[in-house]
Amino acid sequence: MKTLPRIVPLILTLTVLTTIPAASPAASKNDGRPDGGTLAYGEYGRPATLDPITSNEMISLRITELVFNGLVGIDEKQAIVPELAERWEVSQDGRTYTFFLRKGVRWHPRDGEAPRLFTADDVLFTHNIMMHPKTITPLKVRYEFIEKVEKLDDSTVRFTLKRPILNALAKFSFKVIPAHGPANPQYLTREDPFVRNPIGTGPYIVKSISADREIVLMANEDYFKGRPHINKFLSKPFADQNIMTQAMMFNAIDMLVLVNPRDLPELQGDRRFVLQPYNALSYAFFGYNLRSPLLADKRVRRAFTHAVNRKEMLDAFFNGQGTIISGPFAPGSWAYNLDVQPLPYDPAKAVALLNEAGFTPGPDGVMQKGGKPLALSLKVPIEKESEAVKRVVLAFQNYLKAIGVSVKVEFKEWQAWKDAVFAEHDFDVILASWVFDDSADISSLFHSAEIGPWKNNFGGYSNPEVDGLIVESKLTLDHEKRRTINRKLHALLAEEAPYTFLWTLTNYSGYHKKLRRVAIHPYKFFSFADEWFIPAAEQK
Amino acid sequence: MAAGRSTALLVTLAMLAATAAWAADDAVARATQLYEKRHYRDAARTLETALPSLDPARQATASLTLGIVYLGTAELHRELSQSATPMQLEYLKALAAIRGPGASRLASFYLGQTLLESGRPAEAIKVLERFAAEPGVEPGFRAQARAHLGLAHFVRKDVTTARALWNSLEARDPQTKATLAAVYSRAGITEPAPVALADAVLKDIGERPAALVRQKLIGVYARAGLTARALALVDQTDLKAPSSTEVLGPAKTINFYDPALLGELAVLYRQASRLALERAAADARVRGTAEYYLGAAFLEAGDVERALQATRAFLALPGAPPAYRNRALVREATARSLLARRADGGSAWAALARDTASDPDLLADMVAACVRHRLECAEIEPRAVRAAEAGERRKTAALNFALGTYHLRKGDLPRAVAYLESARDKAQKNRIEANDPVLLVNLAEAYYRTTQFSESLEIYFEMSQQFPVVRRLQEPLQGVYSMTHKSAGDVKIF
Repeated sequence: MKTLPRIVPLILTLTVLTTIPAASPAASKNDGRPDGGTLAYGEYGRPATLDPITSNEMISLRITELVFNGLVGIDEKQAIVPELAERWEVSQDGRTYTFFLRKGVRWHPRDGEAPRLFTADDVLFTHNIMMHPKTITPLKVRYEFIEKVEKLDDSTVRFTLKRPILNALAKFSFKVIPAHGPANPQYLTREDPFVRNPIGTGPYIVKSISADREIVLMANEDYFKGRPHINKFLSKPFADQNIMTQAMMFNAIDMLVLVNPRDLPELQGDRRFVLQPYNALSYAFFGYNLRSPLLADKRVRRAFTHAVNRKEMLDAFFNGQGTIISGPFAPGSWAYNLDVQPLPYDPAKAVALLNEAGFTPGPDGVMQKGGKPLALSLKVPIEKESEAVKRVVLAFQNYLKAIGVSVKVEFKEWQAWKDAVFAEHDFDVILASWVFDDSADISSLFHSAEIGPWKNNFGGYSNPEVDGLIVESKLTLDHEKRRTINRKLHALLAEEAPYTFLWTLTNYSGYHKKLRRVAIHPYKFFSFADEWFIPAAEQK
Repeated sequence: MAAGRSTALLVTLAMLAATAAWAADDAVARATQLYEKRHYRDAARTLETALPSLDPARQATASLTLGIVYLGTAELHRELSQSATPMQLEYLKALAAIRGPGASRLASFYLGQTLLESGRPAEAIKVLERFAAEPGVEPGFRAQARAHLGLAHFVRKDVTTARALWNSLEARDPQTKATLAAVYSRAGITEPAPVALADAVLKDIGERPAALVRQKLIGVYARAGLTARALALVDQTDLKAPSSTEVLGPAKTINFYDPALLGELAVLYRQASRLALERAAADARVRGTAEYYLGAAFLEAGDVERALQATRAFLALPGAPPAYRNRALVREATARSLLARRADGGSAWAALARDTASDPDLLADMVAACVRHRLECAEIEPRAVRAAEAGERRKTAALNFALGTYHLRKGDLPRAVAYLESARDKAQKNRIEANDPVLLVNLAEAYYRTTQFSESLEIYFEMSQQFPVVRRLQEPLQGVYSMTHKSAGDVKIF
């Protein structure tokens, strides 16, 4: 009887040792900065999914930045730094990348389960699931350069590339998901519970999601870079930008990821807040469904671009807080072709182009061709139905009416809008915005191989010349050549007008001064959030 | 920056000068509005066109306004030039380091010139010698490289080698002739006469755009004191056009820009400002105001004695508004410090600062003077920081701007960004109509140096709509950005 009590604890200890490593790599950061406090931040809209594979929107991306890690990361000075890989080796021919993984990193524990160790299997799993034909993801096109991935041992993986590529190491910043995460171990769809309740290795753990999509994230005490300083992140969705700003003004939230441009003067005049530029590489556009016979002719699309007075809209609805663009890159990008000017507002030219394309006014004033009226549906996500967006949509309707084009506006709930646009392709025109990282990679937007369900070439744009340039741009190892190719792509897509390229808006994030050491990644936003802190006296 | 707040002074002092005639004059009113919007080139054109037909009384006011417009333009080009050099060097060095098929040859040619412009003639000589000795270099470029090589030797006081290099050149094509005219002009050589060479080249090219040739000759006329001809040449020149475009196959072209042009334009506009202000000063009705700006223009040009003289003439004017008197006193203190070659300018204006410790604009002028003229700022800076922190944002914008520039030049980039961002009207983020273009240029430089390239490029993009010459910052920065960014190629729906 006396021996049993000794044996039982020993068995228990051994059991635990198989799932939790004996030595924890994580601890407090010991940087003299206080832990504690809550940061509530406002998002305009709600994320559809919270995993890094299926998501194609910025709200989700920002959450995944808090929850997951890549093999490598990018530091504040834009240098590549170790994350889940503690070091790596690159072969002389630039085709083989061997990553030596950090040991002792643990996945966030699920309720009632012990945390599991991150291993090479997870890296292979992530790659395989990402590239599986049935996985719903826009990432495949970005990782087609990988020929194979091998596990050399539990903490070593080797990627072999089909060819050397520019900036390859940065591409290994893709977020790694756990092999034990998704319910379906083969491929990931938006139906998998993992996409709404993910676990990662990152600084914050998804704790709960309320019915109205408020997301609570708690500090990962076990984070391999040291426990993040702030205890809790609260992601609060808002359907109205004005209310979101008011929430900040009345201290209901501490941070706005993106400040409504109209509210910038109010926030800038308030010494409680700091404004920091964010998301320079984004632009708004009207995107056309080229599957529609009415929109297949580029003269029609160019006519629409001539018909809309972009400057008037920008000035009237956004107080002029932005820049009119001429093509598929943002003006802050290295790829922007400075010689291509935006098409001018010229309704007469628009009508002439429609006539040239075979359209003539019908008895009701609507242009028609072969008896078919030029009547289109414009689909807009309802969560983006801010006052300014609504005005842009109505203005577009009026501009097009002036040249004899009928536009019916349909506001749809965010997920229904995404289903209609990306899955069913049931639309004529959409109003949306893209946000890019520094790569200015437009291949997923305009390459014909990216036409299909849940792919980014939602309009079905296909042009062999554009395809060829995109491929050439991906194949080259010459930065200047890639620049030249992108300038050509810019000119070509401006001419082809698969979109009416609108503007890049003035984008600032805003936060309360109590938040300290805030560095914001220009694209991913929360990359350095584990270093942020709130002085003890100001913690809620 | 001094010119940034000058419109109010122009109004105030013109009233002091007891003439409201200018306000009624369409050209001056139009130009003033354009100047307020920082459409400097349009403002100057409006006045230049109107000046000959104005009566003498109005001419004085128009000249005064023109002088102010050119002074602002000069300051902007000086800052652009200062910002451009490091990014051009970074870009050209990276390009020149590339070997093998598709490597640029002209990168070394322009790198050599940029090194020379940035005051590194020894390094320039090495690069240019290597380029000139390379087999297969086009004779025109080889000759131009040797012309620049001569200038590099000349700058290093090796006149014999410089002369030997220049004498060995047979200048046949307009580019080489223009280059020779430019280097002779910069070396102060009178035989052969640079202006005569420039005239001959312009005759040769006729109506052809010939961007490189025209851009090279602007400085030749400016240095010869032929300001009007230089300004006319600026008007005929596409300032955003590259000097050369190197075609390296069907899918690779590289544009190169003359690294000297921005600095030469700064000199030209400074000169144009001084001339216009001197014309204005000849008229007693606006003399006081003109002297105020002449002080700034002379100081900008490094002519400290005349800056002091003009500033004192202004200070002797009875009834000048106190705020502007104080600004003139700052300028006087700066000039005295420079004349005395004192390291510490602070004590020179200590008495002034004591009385006006809470005036953020005055503190801004002091900090700006410290930065511009490399004076010791230790005494002023803490006081300026306190005033910036205590004051209302709108009232401390100039002070934040000055402090941001101060930290930028010190290399404290996080603080530079923080102060410059505080000074920026964020609702009109990149608009020159709302933000002093010099502030935007400095902010763009701070973002460049902190690798936030897209923020810099956004600023330059907006500025280039009004100042096409900004293209020579945009292209190299795009190049640096393209080569150095680290990202995976992601794109998401907003």
